[in-house]
Amino acid sequence: MEDRFERLTNLVTFLLDQRNGASFAQILEEIPGWPEGEDARRRAFERDKRVLRDEGIPLIEEKGLYRIPPERFYLPDLELTEDEQVALRLAVAAVPGSSELGANALNKLTLGTGAGGDEPVPVVAALDEQPILPILHAAIRDRATLRFRYAGGDEVREVEPALLFFREGNWYVVGHDRLRDARRSFRVDRIDGDVEVGPAGSFEPAATTAEEAMPRQAWLYGDAAEPEQATVEVDAVLAAKAIADIGGRGTVERRADGSAVITMPVTNREAFRTWVLGMLDHAVVLGSPELRADVIAWLESIR
Amino acid sequence: MSGRPKTDLGARLRRVLLMIPWLLEEGGSTVAEIARRFETTEKEVIRDLTLVMCCGLPPYGGGDLITIVLDDDGTVEAWPGPFFTRPMQLTPREGFAVLAAGRALEAVPGTAQRGALASALAKLEAALGASGTLAVDLEAPPHLATVQRAATAGERLQVTYYSAWRDDVTERVVEPLVVHSRDGRWYAETRDVTDPAAGPRERRLRVDRIRSAEPTGETFEVPPTPPAPPERLYVPGPDAVEVTVLLPPTASWFADWMETESVEELDDGRLRVRLFVEGEKVLERLLLRVGPEAVVESPPELAGVGRAAAERLLGRYR
Repeated sequence: MEDRFERLTNLVTFLLDQRNGASFAQILEEIPGWPEGEDARRRAFERDKRVLRDEGIPLIEEKGLYRIPPERFYLPDLELTEDEQVALRLAVAAVPGSSELGANALNKLTLGTGAGGDEPVPVVAALDEQPILPILHAAIRDRATLRFRYAGGDEVREVEPALLFFREGNWYVVGHDRLRDARRSFRVDRIDGDVEVGPAGSFEPAATTAEEAMPRQAWLYGDAAEPEQATVEVDAVLAAKAIADIGGRGTVERRADGSAVITMPVTNREAFRTWVLGMLDHAVVLGSPELRADVIAWLESIR
Repeated sequence: MSGRPKTDLGARLRRVLLMIPWLLEEGGSTVAEIARRFETTEKEVIRDLTLVMCCGLPPYGGGDLITIVLDDDGTVEAWPGPFFTRPMQLTPREGFAVLAAGRALEAVPGTAQRGALASALAKLEAALGASGTLAVDLEAPPHLATVQRAATAGERLQVTYYSAWRDDVTERVVEPLVVHSRDGRWYAETRDVTDPAAGPRERRLRVDRIRSAEPTGETFEVPPTPPAPPERLYVPGPDAVEVTVLLPPTASWFADWMETESVEELDDGRLRVRLFVEGEKVLERLLLRVGPEAVVESPPELAGVGRAAAERLLGRYR
């Protein structure tokens, strides 16, 4: 164990120093502590490589030559101010799930200069944790394509990922779907099986935002060219909720009794119906005639 | 990537690669202090330092990696060499963890030091080549800031609250203890003191269902340590009824979205979902949204809930 650890540490420093890379034979020659026998040495080297990669050390292998590029190995000094260090520390404490990894990261970022103290911090937000998320995020950073199956479908999607975002309890990856030749959002927990990550630098990044990629209002999904205009009456009990839901994408007429008449664009009838029916007796669709007929026909099919 | 447990070797390598730049930054330390900081034993620290003194570049003549002097009294001095003067780059998992936490806190209204957080995250993203790659969207309902302020300042609030379980609106007086976000929704854990005779009751409010919130002018003592948010948001109360519903495959979104006890996929692709409901309103919402293919299997007395609700709503369209 002691020998092996010494060998590993020497391997890291040696490979950091090899701008042009070193062959396995050179590594064997320069670094002491290998077992006897060619096969055993090969196996020992494979194990060492695995430890280095598991620890996130960027070990590059090209044409049988190995190196660790220093510019990727070292964390640049971000010159964080004391306030910035405190802010990051608070963030890691306030969002559970990130705590252990976040603490490692903070130690590296602040080198234990210790700003931030130990006062208790209320937990403010829980983000769903999935092991695949850092892999997806790294692919976005590296501009590496993703290949995966999605939501029970048979086809393999090939996506140039641009953004990872969290909304309403779910993580989404947004990117250019090469098959569809269009931007798509994928819910991360619906990705089936493993994700295959392509080589880095495979595409030009296309910046996007969560709001642009996926409007918060589900009734605005869909590719309908011309939206229908819906008019919905919501009583005083849920008027404020309904107005908050449309998020400014529509017009509101408040009445003296607290109720509201909302006029809003709809490109996805099913989502619109789901939203209205969730309000039970508090909402009625006044128009358009087609949208009203759609809700009536739906209710009659249940009755 | 997180499947295989990290080996002891990996953990030790990680520790040493952080310990060296830290030692250099400090200019020196003691074995005891290092052990405390890196959560290990003094024996391990001595072992690590002794080893680091031997490592470097071939031909290992000394002075290559770092110069460390370890005194008998436990003081440690360090001078830099060509390696490990800086810590290692963040791993993808570390980078993701701290960025996601930072973006989440930034999305919380009323966050102190928002400017410092934003500039720290900008620096971090630039260093990781990750600018604009990660976003956290925690929509802030209208009364969130009021409830958060009341929790921090110990103010009692008079709230008008819509209960989706009962589909009614009530007036309550509450003492908000902690405000948190789960699955993208904001909750306030409160003490409900509406009825002084009955004594305080714990009550969880969904902040987006608060229709109005006003301080009453009374105060309460803020607990010194904020209570931890609950593990599970919904614990069935004494009045909860267990319901089994069959849903078509297209309604799988519903099973993700609601707090269910179990979801079983049948051979024909349909889903058998068990959940607890208090009152019929939650069940009505489910059945009306999923449509005619949703069937209540049990209990039999709730089998007609969807039909009755559809009939009642149709009354508003005649």
